[in-house]
Amino acid sequence: MTTYIEIALNSLVLGGVFLIVAIGLNIVYGLSRVMNLAHGSLYTLGAYFGFTLVASGVNFFIALILAPILVGVAGLLIERTVISLMRKRSMVYTLILTYGLMFFLDGLVRYIWGNETRFIELPGFMKRTISVAGVNYPVFRLIILFIIAAVMAGLMLLLGKTKTGITMRAASQIPEMVSCLGISMTWVHIGAFVLGCVLAGIAGVVAGPLFTVYPTMGHQMLLSSFVVIVIGGLGSLRGAVMAALLIGLVQNLAEFFITDLAMVIVYMMMAVILAIMPRGLLGEGRFE
Amino acid sequence: MMMENPASVLASEWPERVESTPADHPVGTKRLLTGCVFLLILGVLAAFPFMVPNRFYIRLVNEMMIYGLLAMSLDVLLGYTGLLTFMHNAYLGLGAYLAGLFLIHVSPSSLWLAFLAGILCTSLIALPVGWVQVRTGGLAFALLTLAFGMMFFTIAWKWYAMTGGDDGLMGVPHPDITLFGWVLGSSGRPLEMYLFTLFIVSVCFLLTWRIMHSPFGAVLEAIRENEERAAFIGINVRRYKLMGWMFACILASISGVLFILFRGYIGPTTMTAFSGAVILMMVLLGGMGSLWGPMIGAGIFIYLQDYISTKTEHWELFLGLVVILLVVFMPRGVAGLTEFLRRPERESR
Amino acid sequence: MKRWLVAMLALSLILVGSGAWAAQDPIKIGVLVPLSGIVAQGGVEMRDGIDMAAKEKKTILGRPIELLVEDTQIKPDVAVSKAEKLVFKDGAIALIGVFSSGVGLALAKNIDRLGVPFLTTHVMTTEFYGLHKWVFRCGQLANDQTAIGNVNGILATPTLKDRTYYVLVHDYAWGHDAGARFIALAKKSNIKIYNDSFDKAPTSTTDWSSYISKIKAAGVDGIYIAFITNVIPVFAKQAFDFGLQKTMKIVSAAAPGPVELEAGGEACYGIFGASDWSWDVNSPTSDAWEKKYFETYKTIPSDAAVHSYVGAMNLFNAIDKAGSTDPDKIAQALRGISFDGPYGTVRISAKDNCARNDAVLTETMAASSNPYGAKVVMKVLRTFKADELGPPE
Repeated sequence: MTTYIEIALNSLVLGGVFLIVAIGLNIVYGLSRVMNLAHGSLYTLGAYFGFTLVASGVNFFIALILAPILVGVAGLLIERTVISLMRKRSMVYTLILTYGLMFFLDGLVRYIWGNETRFIELPGFMKRTISVAGVNYPVFRLIILFIIAAVMAGLMLLLGKTKTGITMRAASQIPEMVSCLGISMTWVHIGAFVLGCVLAGIAGVVAGPLFTVYPTMGHQMLLSSFVVIVIGGLGSLRGAVMAALLIGLVQNLAEFFITDLAMVIVYMMMAVILAIMPRGLLGEGRFE
Repeated sequence: MMMENPASVLASEWPERVESTPADHPVGTKRLLTGCVFLLILGVLAAFPFMVPNRFYIRLVNEMMIYGLLAMSLDVLLGYTGLLTFMHNAYLGLGAYLAGLFLIHVSPSSLWLAFLAGILCTSLIALPVGWVQVRTGGLAFALLTLAFGMMFFTIAWKWYAMTGGDDGLMGVPHPDITLFGWVLGSSGRPLEMYLFTLFIVSVCFLLTWRIMHSPFGAVLEAIRENEERAAFIGINVRRYKLMGWMFACILASISGVLFILFRGYIGPTTMTAFSGAVILMMVLLGGMGSLWGPMIGAGIFIYLQDYISTKTEHWELFLGLVVILLVVFMPRGVAGLTEFLRRPERESR
Repeated sequence: MKRWLVAMLALSLILVGSGAWAAQDPIKIGVLVPLSGIVAQGGVEMRDGIDMAAKEKKTILGRPIELLVEDTQIKPDVAVSKAEKLVFKDGAIALIGVFSSGVGLALAKNIDRLGVPFLTTHVMTTEFYGLHKWVFRCGQLANDQTAIGNVNGILATPTLKDRTYYVLVHDYAWGHDAGARFIALAKKSNIKIYNDSFDKAPTSTTDWSSYISKIKAAGVDGIYIAFITNVIPVFAKQAFDFGLQKTMKIVSAAAPGPVELEAGGEACYGIFGASDWSWDVNSPTSDAWEKKYFETYKTIPSDAAVHSYVGAMNLFNAIDKAGSTDPDKIAQALRGISFDGPYGTVRISAKDNCARNDAVLTETMAASSNPYGAKVVMKVLRTFKADELGPPE
């Protein structure tokens, strides 16, 4: 029984990280129609920023706030220099651009930080295990769950209640109206991209102590977040939540019971769901 | 506006394509000129291994030709039919694995049977996948190709007993190249394999050129421009998309068989999402919609990758930079540059 | 026009002149190592070890040594095409290096076409024994030697002997081989194994939590892992988070890299394994080598670096002994050659082209003060003699 509770908790943690990354990707796509293939590299960048900050003595929680901001700044730079140039053109070009960007950022990370795997040191109290429903579970994993929940709550607030958020959602549906109202679409695009990058950065810092920090960490994460988006539906936040948790659960269960075929099952699930419901579980278009 | 018609996401923004409307189709002297250029290039390529008898360079150009064929097949899908796929390399992989397995387990010496096996089996897989996929378009189509592609990759990677898993299919025999019973050479020897590849790729190119510049090709272009309108004038959009898809996959599987004959090895790394994006880039680099452009794109990319990776261990950095610069400054690719030369009076849209 | 002509003449004279200065045509050795991807660190260490040997040896056959380094990316087809480049375009007369068995086997299968001798300093597959007259291994212990080392080591260590082991490997050829061998040998020696069909994890696994849950649920007190070296500390860290090391000991089929051990810290204590060497080996030769390595490359001396150094020295000495760059002559000279280095005499067997040398059983623990600033040490518990590890000749 305790094993199942452990699996459930592991799934929540894994699914949670997938969720943050996937939502970041979704926001960028939904609001500014850019499918950012370099999203995984921004996640990697966030993890490395977090590592450097913590290694220089910064408290983990402060790093958790600072590193994503740094990634956001990087995102701002990227958006203003290359992404905005692509806006008028077909999506194919943006895809290939972001693909090149992914290579570039990965190479940059390797250049600056080298090839070795890095670890993010946690404050002492987070390194212990605590008894949760009869299971000895690492404290920091539980804390990560709280962090993820807080981020999601913050996002819901931002997009649901604040003027900025509502503007963004409106812009995703009818950009012309938003322009007519005198709101600059450029700022919406910038905002969306930077927000996506910040989310990727948060996921990166959180993933550091979970999965360790290494140069190619973004690749698998990008693929997994694609799977989440595809299953949950492009542009759908609620779909992303459902899909991320589903995949976290399926992957963990599969790894536990049918260890060898875990990833096959995940990809097959994606193919099957897409084949039957090409618009994903909750459909695309409405960004809510 | 957002995603009501997924297909229109791609179709609405094609100004950077290299133009290929009926008005361009060469007639009379223009056809003669195009034919001469083709023969010239063919001649240069055929003479190349004799002028530069270095084994490394022969194999490099051989590899360029194989990927050129794959890139051209992607152009059929992307440049002509307007369907974006993230993992077209999966069909090169399938062709290579299936032909390789045939050579290992069934008959190590029959070249043409291996071709048949590779093409036929890949088509059998591509057909149902394509049937499912053409029900959508645009980004949804692209994501489906990603899903299926990743599935094939994972199967190739995991089915250790059959495919050798992570290590791949090794030691695939190199059958002799025969024509109507005459042994012309062995696919294991660089020179002979090179000439054989040149032969097959040229034939495929001519075939594709002919088909794309026929009414069939025109229909595909119509679908790319505006799916709804094409449907209104009575075209069975799904069927044509499927036909375009199958044609592209067959070409890709041919490149796969050539690959396994050339390398004697195929591994799952050729079937990853990243390799898939590389092929996309080749098409872009060379110029979408021109058929020959992507081949040049393949050549340039393979050369670049080889060159850059020797110079520095940080080749990823430079490669990414090159890709970014290309997309920003040269979106029409190489073919776009020559278009400028050929039709100075035509205004770009 | 005239000025241009003069400039071109001057330029060509300079070029010809500089060519004339390089009168000594260097001996080119092709170094194939992974420099990107997950084992990039191991590849860098291998390259540095070979580089150190080249710097020490300086010349072969009276000509300066030139190392041409190419990245295999752990992909067999890339490695083969890089090998072709090194041999046919750049003129390398021998190939050295290679981390992964898959790459090694692919190269070996093409070696006739390549036409040069190939010495791997890391490939562990037993298929390399007597594989081809031009294919050699001198460096990392092979799978069978490691299995014997680990099993004998377990039997000789009281705290390991009575445990039940859960076997978890990376899902590729080497992982399967290492796992299968260990289980077969362990059962013969009455070591308890929990799962006969070992568990396989994809090489890209980063989240080990479900595997850890499974191990916990199995109720074992020992884990045998066959992971790519750079991943070992990752697993150890996550296992530590879940408190596995409180009750379980880990035995590893491959020595963890020192750089990763450092980052892992306390979580990486208590990992046992058989390997050629650790910087804890206290002999004058070893200490001198470590000192020089640390001064030159500024990192903790690693197993990967030292056995690549030894393999390279054997190759360079063999070319000298052969007196020519002819592959058959070099191969002939390699058979039976030996080198006395940091971990004793390393001899390439004339029977199967693979190395025989002494090895050590190590346990990772907190390091006492040392010149490298290392916090974690692989402490030598026991030495194995070469003939104990086999295979018999």
